[in-house]
Amino acid sequence: MANIEPITGRYVRVPYEGEDYRVFYEEAGQGIPLVCLHTAGTDTREWRHQLCDTDINSDFRVIALDLPRHGKSIPPAGWWKEEYKLTAQFYSEFLMAFCKELELDNPVIMGSSMGGNICLHLARNCSSDLRALIAIEACDYSPGWWLDWLWNPHVHGGEACATSVYGLMAPQSPEEYRRETWWYYAQSGPGIFKGDLYFYSVDHDFRAMAENLPGDIPIYFMTGVYDFACTPEMTEKTAKKVKNSECIIMEEIGHFPMCENPVTFKKYLMPVLAKILQTS
Amino acid sequence: MAAFDTGWMERWQALVNQDRVTKIIGRHLTTDVLLAFGETAYVVSFVGGTIPKISSDIGPESTYVFALRGPAETWAKFVQPIPPPMYNDIWAMAHPLHGRLQIEGDVKVMWQNLRAFTWTLDLMRNVQE
Repeated sequence: MANIEPITGRYVRVPYEGEDYRVFYEEAGQGIPLVCLHTAGTDTREWRHQLCDTDINSDFRVIALDLPRHGKSIPPAGWWKEEYKLTAQFYSEFLMAFCKELELDNPVIMGSSMGGNICLHLARNCSSDLRALIAIEACDYSPGWWLDWLWNPHVHGGEACATSVYGLMAPQSPEEYRRETWWYYAQSGPGIFKGDLYFYSVDHDFRAMAENLPGDIPIYFMTGVYDFACTPEMTEKTAKKVKNSECIIMEEIGHFPMCENPVTFKKYLMPVLAKILQTS
Repeated sequence: MAAFDTGWMERWQALVNQDRVTKIIGRHLTTDVLLAFGETAYVVSFVGGTIPKISSDIGPESTYVFALRGPAETWAKFVQPIPPPMYNDIWAMAHPLHGRLQIEGDVKVMWQNLRAFTWTLDLMRNVQE
């Protein structure tokens, strides 16, 4: 009998600001909608372990989407005449438009890196439509990554982008999974990783706003000790400002918990999901 | 702590030159790099993913394309079999948030060869003291 994974991949059309975006997403399971956000320059594959995990997908409808320009979600027409720069406004509004098209009832949003940072913006602007936020490797300001070398015709973008993030993973994480994450990074379109990092390191500056979040939904911050882009100290400092938040520091893991070491990540994630289940 | 003396560098050189993967991914890695471990510096010559020469005689006539300079204590953490957080990668150490390593010079060559170059540096963790 074929060993078929429970993941189903589909396309949904998401209208946003006059564009008709063709968006690829994968899902598995049923229950509370749990929307998973990939990191900069990658795609849904980062969440393959959680999508297939019956301890997770028996209570949650796990959904991972490719943002426009990522994975199987094609860019909007005219992309070839623009420099791509992801903004907090597009990112947060587009995510909510995606959730609306799928008719998700108060989903949980879980994202890592830029997907973690956007959780702060979602908490500010969209909390009434959400149940909880899991902000992985997130903080209120993460400078230093909007680098020209990541999109330069003299440099192999795939190899340079992938290698620039390789050290963000913990040496304790299985090499097979670290190299798989490297592989994802080697496959993004030209300038997409750098364009995402415009949001990550430039447009996302929440330092003056973190204290003013309403606190009406819980935010779970989770950061690995090997993350040198968003260190545990940076996350702890942010979490102290955010009402109704919890800060979880994860040992022996880095910036890509879900795909660099799904076993270690699961130890920290399951208690968070249990809390969300209890209060739902 | 790692000695970073000429014997240590020669043992690293031998590891790189014997390494099968470096031969595959480092075919275009041809450059001269200055590595400074505190006050101790070398110019490492890479040619097609091998290291034919390491010069410890650094002076006014030394030439190199780019340089990595950091305290010996920083490098000593980097070369541990399991390096501690923030020391496991040259970009981790050099990132503006941390500033434990200085990367200078024509860094375009480094970015062009980042995969192979960092692979060879990671082999430092296998050097016998």
